[in-house]
Amino acid sequence: MSNIGTPTITVLYFAAASTAIGLTVERVPLPSQEPLPLTSLSELLVSRHAGKGLDKILASSQWSVNEEMVDEPENTTLKGGEEVAVICPVSGG
Amino acid sequence: MPGTEQWPAASVEARLETEDGVCVLTYNSLDTQDILSSVGDDAAGATAVFIGTTRNSFKGKVVTRLDYQAYSKVAIKTMASVLRDARTQGSRSEHHTPGTVSPILRCSVHHRLGTVPVGEPSIVIAVSSPHRKESFVACEYILEEVKRRAQIWKREFYKDEPEETAEWKENVTTSKAP
Repeated sequence: MSNIGTPTITVLYFAAASTAIGLTVERVPLPSQEPLPLTSLSELLVSRHAGKGLDKILASSQWSVNEEMVDEPENTTLKGGEEVAVICPVSGG
Repeated sequence: MPGTEQWPAASVEARLETEDGVCVLTYNSLDTQDILSSVGDDAAGATAVFIGTTRNSFKGKVVTRLDYQAYSKVAIKTMASVLRDARTQGSRSEHHTPGTVSPILRCSVHHRLGTVPVGEPSIVIAVSSPHRKESFVACEYILEEVKRRAQIWKREFYKDEPEETAEWKENVTTSKAP
């Protein structure tokens, strides 16, 4: 159970990512009150869905945060309340 | 929207009209004639149209359908950005005489979501311009950039294979090819 006040983000999964873990959306509590570097999110998500191949998918994906594609994940932190999406390699058309 | 409960909640219909054109994501069949008419302009001498349809084969396998989904809020902005870039490029075209009418008159890009059976369009792009060159170039540019950038995904389903083996495709950009 997450405590009230724990910063939480919403993570959206599409395509191969959603097929791998069987979810299209989940609420993810952040590990602490401290902002989480976006570069640490992969590890957190993979630990929630161990053994489903999410690590490989994340390695070839990009992030979006609050409906904007992230160009510099190393300069992005999550405070809670964000909508983060795993953007797998796209295949429209 | 019938049947949308099987798609991600964020994969919804969307429409965005900007000064550069119209972008649409829809679960409905694409009406090519309607999209073509929407870029009509008395100043146009040319209209280029691209229609992408579900092909019935992939590397010897029989394809039965494609399922599309999008992160619509982001994808529709990306599509609008592609139209912006297409018009910016058009205005720099050597064929265009500066100071005359805008070389791209109207653009529209419609992408279907959900299941697209074999033979049906998944994407329709229409561009009108005073002369043919600009509309041909812009139409191809819009297609290639939407395929490369828009947050849209397709899964290919094959005859006589279980659905869980259906493959999520990845568009490989030509610039990455050796």
